[in-house]
Amino acid sequence: MSSGMVNLNTNPCKMCMPMGAVSAFYGVARCMSLLHGSQGCSTYIRRHMATHYNEPVDIASSSLTEEGTVFGGEKNLVRGLDNLIKLYRPEVIGIATTCLAETIGEDVPSIVRRYYESRPDCAAKIVAVASAGYSGTQYEGWFRALHALVSQTAVNRVRHDGLNVITGPVSPADTRALKNLLRAAGLSFTLLPDISDNLDGGHAADYERLPAGGTPLERIARMGGARATLELATFPPESHSPGRWLEETHSVPLLRLNMPVGLRDTDAFLKALEDLGGTIPEETLRERGRCLDAMIDAHKYNALGRAAIFGEPDMVYGLARLACENGLVPVVAATGCNCPAFRDALEREIRPAADNALLERASVLNFADFDDIGAAVAANGANLLIGNSDGRRLAQERGIPLIRCAFPVHDHVGGQRIRVLGYSGALRLLDSFANALISRRDASFRAELLARHHKDAGNAAPGPARSNAEKTARHPCFSAKAGRTAARLHLPVAPACNISCNYCARAFDCPNESRPGVTTAILSPEEAFARFARVKAAMPNLTVVGIAGPGDALANFSETAETLRLVREADPEIVFCLSTNGLLLPLYAAQLAGMGVSHVTVTINAVNPAIGARICQHVTYMGVTYEGEAGAAILMANQFAGLRLLTGAGVACKVNIVLIKGVNDAHVEDVARKAASLGASIANVMQMIPVKGSAFEDMPLVSNREHTALRKRCEAHIPQMYHCRQCRADAAGLLDEDRSFSLREIAPRTPAAPERKMGRPVRVAVASRSGVVVDQHFGFAEQFYIYESDGVSTRLVETRRSPGGGGGCGRCGGRRADAVSETGKIAGALETVADCRAVVAMRIGDSPAKQLARKGIAVFSTYESIDKAVRDAAARLA
Amino acid sequence: MYAHILEERKSSIKSPARDSTPIRCEAASVAGAVSQRACVYCGARVVLNPVADAFHIVHGPIGCASYTWDIRGSLSSGPQLYRNSFSTDLQERDVVFGGAEKLASAIDEVMGVYAPRLIFVYATCIVGVIGDDVEAVCREAERKYGIRAVPVKAPGFSGNKSTGYRLACDALMRLLPPREKRGKREGVNILGDYNLAGEMWIIKSYMREIGIPVVSTFTGDATYERLLKAPSARLNVVQCAGSMLYLAERMEREYGIPWVKASFFGLEDTGTAIRQVADLAGSPAARRKAADFTRRESGRVARLVAPYHRRLAGKKAAIFVGGGFKAISLVRQFREMGMETVLVGTQTGRADEYEVLGKLVSPDTVILDDANPAELEKFMREKGADILVGGVKERPLAYKLGIAFCDHNHERKHALAGYEGVENFTREVNLSVNSPVWRYARG
Repeated sequence: MSSGMVNLNTNPCKMCMPMGAVSAFYGVARCMSLLHGSQGCSTYIRRHMATHYNEPVDIASSSLTEEGTVFGGEKNLVRGLDNLIKLYRPEVIGIATTCLAETIGEDVPSIVRRYYESRPDCAAKIVAVASAGYSGTQYEGWFRALHALVSQTAVNRVRHDGLNVITGPVSPADTRALKNLLRAAGLSFTLLPDISDNLDGGHAADYERLPAGGTPLERIARMGGARATLELATFPPESHSPGRWLEETHSVPLLRLNMPVGLRDTDAFLKALEDLGGTIPEETLRERGRCLDAMIDAHKYNALGRAAIFGEPDMVYGLARLACENGLVPVVAATGCNCPAFRDALEREIRPAADNALLERASVLNFADFDDIGAAVAANGANLLIGNSDGRRLAQERGIPLIRCAFPVHDHVGGQRIRVLGYSGALRLLDSFANALISRRDASFRAELLARHHKDAGNAAPGPARSNAEKTARHPCFSAKAGRTAARLHLPVAPACNISCNYCARAFDCPNESRPGVTTAILSPEEAFARFARVKAAMPNLTVVGIAGPGDALANFSETAETLRLVREADPEIVFCLSTNGLLLPLYAAQLAGMGVSHVTVTINAVNPAIGARICQHVTYMGVTYEGEAGAAILMANQFAGLRLLTGAGVACKVNIVLIKGVNDAHVEDVARKAASLGASIANVMQMIPVKGSAFEDMPLVSNREHTALRKRCEAHIPQMYHCRQCRADAAGLLDEDRSFSLREIAPRTPAAPERKMGRPVRVAVASRSGVVVDQHFGFAEQFYIYESDGVSTRLVETRRSPGGGGGCGRCGGRRADAVSETGKIAGALETVADCRAVVAMRIGDSPAKQLARKGIAVFSTYESIDKAVRDAAARLA
Repeated sequence: MYAHILEERKSSIKSPARDSTPIRCEAASVAGAVSQRACVYCGARVVLNPVADAFHIVHGPIGCASYTWDIRGSLSSGPQLYRNSFSTDLQERDVVFGGAEKLASAIDEVMGVYAPRLIFVYATCIVGVIGDDVEAVCREAERKYGIRAVPVKAPGFSGNKSTGYRLACDALMRLLPPREKRGKREGVNILGDYNLAGEMWIIKSYMREIGIPVVSTFTGDATYERLLKAPSARLNVVQCAGSMLYLAERMEREYGIPWVKASFFGLEDTGTAIRQVADLAGSPAARRKAADFTRRESGRVARLVAPYHRRLAGKKAAIFVGGGFKAISLVRQFREMGMETVLVGTQTGRADEYEVLGKLVSPDTVILDDANPAELEKFMREKGADILVGGVKERPLAYKLGIAFCDHNHERKHALAGYEGVENFTREVNLSVNSPVWRYARG
C-alpha cells in the first residue's frame, strides 16, 4: 500500500546528519564527540548506535536550554567542552551541530577560537562540523565529519610514501578486513575513519571509556603529504569529499572507486592497490577463487531472487552490483537520501540484469521512505529484502525474508560484525541470499505443487498429512472416529478479533449456550494452563488442546503462543489445534508450525470479494480498517497465502465454511474447491447459528436437507466433516458431552482469616507519597492515606489532601514552596488527621508529635510498607 | 586515572550514611557530562505514543522521527497505526521559508489516505524557532475535517523528559469531554501504564478478577474512543507517577476524580495495589475478592520463585531507571529476592522520591540523579554490583564491566509487572546473574 503522500515521510529510510558525524568521529583515536543542541539528540543517537554495535557509546551534549536558545549557546558549549575534557581527557573532540544550533545561528568555529584563547593549556584538538539534521542524512554527515577532520587538521604537507584510504559508512568488521588487506599488500596507509576497535571492542579486564583505537590524529595531520588518496565511495557529496579537499588543497591525487563490494569492485580495488605498488597476497587470490566458486554454486538459486535493496547510496549500489553479478535482479533499489546521481547509476546497473531475466519492472527510488519501498516491493514482486533492520516490518507484513547487512540492526545481535566488503564479504552475502530463497521455497513447494498438479481430489493429501496422520487419528474434529473417544479442551485466551462478521457476537458468561465465540471467561495463559492441568487430571482421554477464540487466536498471538508453550512444557504428547479467520496467518504460519501446532481450522466463507463483503463488515489489518470488498479481498488473499504456508509446513488444515442462506449458499462449492487446491485436508460446512445481537440475527436458515446436499456436492472436492458440534470457545470434553461448565475454576477456598478478634477497627492516617511505603515526613505530607484496621486486616478508606501540603500545583509533584508557612503546613496536617486514632509517618517533628498526643492520637514513626505499618499500629492500639 | 566525577555533579550523588542533605535533582543536565537523559519530545512521545489509532506526526527534521519509530514495546489489541513513524521531514528550504504550510499539506494528505479521527502533531526543536504556528495549523485542520488535531509543542531544549510528560498530559486533557457530559460514575481508569509487553492487559485482568470495571487506560492499548470515556470513572489508578500524576491531579480538579498511586512491580506492591483499588473503588465483595486473589497469587508465585531466590541471595544490584517511583519498587523487589541494592539512580526522579530511596537502601548505597556513564562505571565497580537494571543504553557498559543486565525499559518483550512479572523478572535476573559467561569473562 503506497499512500503516495509527498509532504509526509512515512517510516523513514534515513537518519540525521549528526548520527553520521559522530559515527565517523568514532573512527578517530582518543576522540570524543559533543553534539551542540538539545540533550535528546545525543541520547537518541547513543541508543541507536549502542543497540547496533553492542558497545558503550558515549556522546556528550551541550544540553541547550531555553536560555541558551534565546541568548546563544556559547556558555553551554564551553562548559560542555570543559566537562568532557575533565571526564575523558580526549585528544580530539568532534563538535557536531544539530538542527537547533544551526537554526539559531551558532558560530561554532568562533566559539572554539575563543575557547582556545581562554584556555591556553587545552591540549585537545577540537574539530567542528556543521551538521544540521535538515541538510542531509547520516550519509552526508559522515563525509562532512571526515571533511572537517581533514581540512581542520591535515596541515602537515611533508610528502611521504603513504596512501590515504577513505571509506564511507562500513561496519567495524569490514573496516578490520580492509585494514588487514592493505597491510598484507605491503602498503603504508592511513585509513580514515577506522572504527574497527572503537565500535567492536573485545572484552578486557579493564574497560577504557575513552575510545583508544581508531586513526591517530598525527596520521590525519599527515594526509596532506600522501602520494594518493583512495576514496572508496561512489556518491559522496562533492563539497564535503575529504579526498577532493586533499587534492585541491594539497595536490594529493584522488582516485575514487566504488566501495569494494562484489567481484568487479573488489577486483578494481585490488588492481588500484597493485598499480600503487601493493602486492596482492596469495590468500586474497585464493579467496577470489572461492568467491567465484560460491557464485557458481549459488547462481541458480539467486537467479530466482527478486531483491529490494535499501539504505545508504553507496551500500545500495554495491549490493545491487553484487546481486546483478549473480543473476539476482534488484527489482527495487532505494535510498532515503537525496542523492541526484543515484538513479542513473542504479538504472544503468539494473536494466541489463532485468532484461536478462526478461523482467519488465524494476524501480529505482531516490529520497524514498518505507511507504514508497513497500509499494514498489508489492508492485515488482520482490521476494528478498536486503538492507538494515528497519525493513523488518515490511518483511513481516509481506512474509519476505530480510538480510540484515547494514546499519542499523536493532533486532539481531552482531551488527558490528557484519561483513560486506571484499571477496569474503561477497561470498557470505551470496550464500545468505541463496539460503534465504532456498528456505522460503522449501517451506512451500510441496503444497504449491500439490495444489497445482494433484487433481485426484477424492484422496486426502499425501505427504505432509501423513506425517501428522497419527495425530489426526487422535483429533476428535479431524477424525469422526476419534470424535467419539478423544476429548478436547478449548482454552479461551483470545478475546480480540480483527474482523467483524455479520453472524458473530462474541459473548461471555453464558454456560447454556454452545456455539463458537461463547465462553464464560477469558483466561490468561497461566490460568489457561491451570485449567488444562485440572482437565487433564479429570479426563485421561484428553488428546487435543485448542485455541478457538472467543475472538481470533492469531489476533491474540502472544497469549496463544504463551498458552501453548506452557501446555507443551507439561505435556509433550498433546495435539495442538487452533482456529482462526486466517487474516494473520501469513505472519504466523511458520511460527505455528514451529510451535508444534499440527491442526489448524481456517474459516473461509467466500472466495469472491463481493460475496465476502456481504458476510464480513470490516477487516482491521496492520492498523488500518478496510471495509467492504477491500477488506474481504485482503482477508481472502491472506487466508489463501496462509493456508498454503501451513499445508506446506505439514500442518493439517480444516476449512470451516459458515453457510448463510441467500448469501453464500450457491458459492460454498467454490470455497470447497479452493480449500482443496490450497492443500486443506477436510472441510466443514456449518449451518449458521442466528445469534441475537448479530447483524444476521434474523437471517433465514437452510434446511437440513439442503445442508446435506451441499456437503455431498462439496465432497467431490474435499472430504467433509459431518460430526461438527459447533463448540464453544471454552469447550472441554468429548464433542457430544461438553463439560466446560462443570470444569471451571472453583475458587480455591482461601483459609479464613484467623479468628483473632481485635475489637473495633481503628482509623489510621498514613503519610505516604508512593502509597506503598510510609515515606513522608508528617509536616511535609501532601496527602494522607486513611486506613481502618483491626490489627489483622486493613482497609483503605480514602486519600486526603493536606491543605498545607504541596498539592503539586503547576508542576507534576512540585512543591508550592512559597505558599504556606511551616506552621500553616503542620496545622493543615493536624486538621487532616483529626478524626484518626493514630498517625504513621516516616518522621515527625517534636512539636506536632506533642500536639497529636494532646489530641489522643498515637504516633508511629517507620519506613515500613503501608500494609504492615497500619496493621502494627492498630494491633498496638488494641 | 582522570576524574570520574565532575565537581558540579557532586551534589547529585550521595550516600545516606554520609550525607543527610537533599540530593540535587529536577534540574537541567550538566553540559558535557554525558547525561543518559532524553528530551522534552521524548517524554511527550512516550506518553502519547500508545494511543493506537492516533496519527502521530513529528513536525521537524527527520532525526526525531527516525529514532522513535516503533522502538517501544507498547502493544495494541486493535489498531497498529501508532507503530508507524510519520514526519514532515523538514528540509533546508522549509527552515528558511517556514514549515507550517508543509504541515498543513501533510495533514490534507493524511486525511485523504488514512482519515484518522485524532492527530497529534509533535513540534520539535526548531519549529518554534522558525516561527511555525502549529496551533493555527491544527485549529484549521479541526475545523476543516471535524477531527481532533492536537499540537504538542515539545522542543527538546524547553526542559527535560518530565516537561514532555506534562505536555502529553495537557494534550490528553484537551481531548476529554467537559465535566457535564460525562456518563454514570463507574469503574477506574488506569494511568501511567503503557502496555509494554501487555502489562496493561495484566493489570486489567486483575481488575476483572476483583470485579472492578476498567473505563479507560492511559495510554497503554488506548484508542481515542475509549479515552473519551475516562471522565466517568470513580477513581484514577496511577501506575507510573512520574509521567501521569500530573494528569491525575488535573482530572481530580476538573472532574473530581480522586486518584491513588499503585505500583505493580513486586509481590508486595502488586498485592497492596490491588487491595487499595478494591478498597477505594469496589464493593465489600470486591474487597474480599482482592484479599483472596492477592493472597492466592502471591502464595503461588512465591512458591514458583523460591528456588531462584536461593541462587540470588546475597547478590548486589545496581538500578538506573527513568523515574523514582519505579526505582523505589525495584529496591523493594530486590529485597524480596534477597538482594541488596548497592547503587540506585534515576534520570528524572523527584526530591521526595529520593528521600524515600534514602530511607529504603543501606546506609552506604550510592544514590545518584541524572548519572553519566563514568559515574555508573565507577560506582558499579566500587560497590561490586552483580547486575544492572536499566535501559538499553546502559547495557553495553554493564557487559564491558562484566556485570549482568536486565532491561527494565521500553524494549522488552516480556512483562515485568504483576504476578507474572515477578516470575519473569526473577527468571531474567537469574539467567543473567548466574550465567556461565561471567566465569570466563571475569576470570
